[in-house]
Amino acid sequence: MSKRAARIDIALALAALAGCALFTGLFLRAEAQWEIAVLAVLLAATLYAAGRSGVAARLEATGAAHPRAASLAAGAAMLLLVALLHSSHFALLMMATVALFATACMGLTLQFGYAGITNFAGAAFFGIGGYTTAVLATHTGVPHLLVLLAGGAMAGLIGSLLILPILRTRGHYAALVTIAFAVLFKTFLEVNDALGGPQGLKVPGLELFGWAFNRRIPLGEDREISFFASYAALSIVLALLAYSLVKRVERSWLGLSLDAVRVDETAAACFGIDIARWKILAFTLGNFLVGLAGGIYAMMLGYIAPTSFTFGDSLIMVSIVILGGLGNPLGVIPAALLVVVLPEKLQLIQEYRFLLFAVVVMLILVFRPDGLLPRRMREYFAGWKRA
Amino acid sequence: MHPGALALFFVLLLGGCADSPTDTVKIAFIGPLTGGVAANGLGGRNSADLAVRLRNADPRSRHRYELVVLDDECKPNIGVQVATKAAADDHVIAAVAHYCSAVAMGTVDVYHKFGMPAVVWGAVLPDVTYGNDFDEVHRVNGTMINQNDVAARFMTALGYRRWAIIHDTTDYGKGHDKYFSEALAAQGGTIVGRFGVTSDQQDFNAELTKIKELKPEVLYFGGLTPIGVRIRSQMDRLGMNTVFQGTSGIVSAAYIEGAGALAEGTVAFREGAPAERLPGGAMFLEAYAKQGYGDPPEAYGPFAFAATNLVIDAIEAVGPNRRRVVKQLNATRDYASAVGPITFDDHGQNTVPIISKFVVQDGRWVIWEDSDYARGKRKLPRPS
Repeated sequence: MSKRAARIDIALALAALAGCALFTGLFLRAEAQWEIAVLAVLLAATLYAAGRSGVAARLEATGAAHPRAASLAAGAAMLLLVALLHSSHFALLMMATVALFATACMGLTLQFGYAGITNFAGAAFFGIGGYTTAVLATHTGVPHLLVLLAGGAMAGLIGSLLILPILRTRGHYAALVTIAFAVLFKTFLEVNDALGGPQGLKVPGLELFGWAFNRRIPLGEDREISFFASYAALSIVLALLAYSLVKRVERSWLGLSLDAVRVDETAAACFGIDIARWKILAFTLGNFLVGLAGGIYAMMLGYIAPTSFTFGDSLIMVSIVILGGLGNPLGVIPAALLVVVLPEKLQLIQEYRFLLFAVVVMLILVFRPDGLLPRRMREYFAGWKRA
Repeated sequence: MHPGALALFFVLLLGGCADSPTDTVKIAFIGPLTGGVAANGLGGRNSADLAVRLRNADPRSRHRYELVVLDDECKPNIGVQVATKAAADDHVIAAVAHYCSAVAMGTVDVYHKFGMPAVVWGAVLPDVTYGNDFDEVHRVNGTMINQNDVAARFMTALGYRRWAIIHDTTDYGKGHDKYFSEALAAQGGTIVGRFGVTSDQQDFNAELTKIKELKPEVLYFGGLTPIGVRIRSQMDRLGMNTVFQGTSGIVSAAYIEGAGALAEGTVAFREGAPAERLPGGAMFLEAYAKQGYGDPPEAYGPFAFAATNLVIDAIEAVGPNRRRVVKQLNATRDYASAVGPITFDDHGQNTVPIISKFVVQDGRWVIWEDSDYARGKRKLPRPS
């Protein structure tokens, strides 16, 4: 490849990144019905054009050639967006929510996408993280960084108990076990007075290294930085870390073993792969990520109750993973944006919004059955097939 | 994509931001429009919408009003999200918000942070107003505190002095125990015994035998219908002739079905009243029917209607400015609304909400004032 072509590729990639950031910003800010409609049409047209003209494939190749630079640039672009939107509270809240749901769904990707364990209790593990954080931050003086990690660890720990029945069941039956757990979790919270019962619990705001996240920062005379700005930045950094963790797991021999377990358990066992061990690893690590994201989410919102962690919420997480493209941690980011923000944007049609939202999700799956960004074959050496 | 088209798009986008009319005042309505309790949310939404429509049709009103309707799904996380959306929009002056207590508990912080006045129309948990000292938060409907206050005043006025209490150990039962005891102490009644039971207990002979020895005049029960039925039936087996007084938790047809003839003479209290019995109820129902909404107003519709009118009147009086509206709302005294007079205390709680008194007569819950008991034709048991 000539130097000039490489330069064009990089420029193209940067332009695409800027386009994505711009689109995210506009989508978050858009309020009127026609703005949302125009943006949706624009997005569909751009994606179609990029696919047909080969620009998409070229972008993908550029990204694959410079994986580290690509994810850092994407993170930087999103942080820049946070800086630009510093005073719009609501847009920042939505950005942080999307980033946290994306993080949780990357955890689920480890479980469904790689090890093939269907987890229909995503929201329950999200809730375990949130409740652990709420209890520890309210009743103990433990530094909040450790509190958040404890939230993740607790989700991993409870998940490792749930793994016992999951290991003893296969396929649909294992999925049923997780559904039962999701239902059980909500009922447990509702009858548990110490955890606030059905009314829920207050959660103190996050404080890291002496920095109170809930503080407003005045900026000159009549402007200020929103208290959601720090949460948005933290969530984006977390999503980036989770992404690179999941990517690294996929690329390493861990990922190969997990794929083998998913594709054919018997064959994998014949080659000496310990099925139980890999399932436990994927399930526990995945739940840790889900719990971690849940802890930050709880602290950002300041209040949690059982109704936020129902089986329906778990299904929303599952739909993000499938919509994004099973096994592709990059796909969950646009999928989370769609699933979290679209129902919000449809508030205009009030009680009919979930109807339309469901139709949109179905249409996407009909026309893109593998999700928005389907998982590709591993490339250990970028571009070796073409070279 | 053609650069011209992109430019046009941005021009339109900017135009969209700039042309929001200045004389229209926005008010947010927040409630559950989807999910299990959606019927209540839709009734509240229509009622708030009715208040706005009537006001816009009134030539004397100074502003035009627009209702921004947001769905909280009865989930605190979504509630915080939509409350933030409303509060972060400077054009939204106030919110008429929440049917679910858990959601209201989560969002009061948001209203406080943004200094946006909010009037709760349906959530009943006392802590929504009493758990904080936020100037921004108000509530037009009553809570179990008001319910028990009315209960204690009413029963002591009938001449009863000695109570025994059985309550279940949920938040609901414990709350009723606490607030009834406080209200009763203020009225000079005495409590001779207090028993906490789990909400699935079957046998109450131990508690009831002790209570019988203590000779109360009234047995107060704070809990829900299933154990209410069991206690009432087992009282009869022990030959107890005390008044059975319940809370909103037993005002249901299931209680009468379960307890059968023994239900006769049970008294209970509940927040609100059937719409047709409210002071402005007839007017409200007529106007509501005229608009042809697809869903009925439900029990809390009149409260959403009253809350919206209260907010609009405050804006009419002091202009569309959040801080002034908060001040105006806090000064609300004897405001005449569709649900009766509204007076806010220093927590923004309406201190004179309508509480209905019920008594079982001939297998039906009858409003006390309409019953044979009030007319003196029948008498509640009164041990000598």
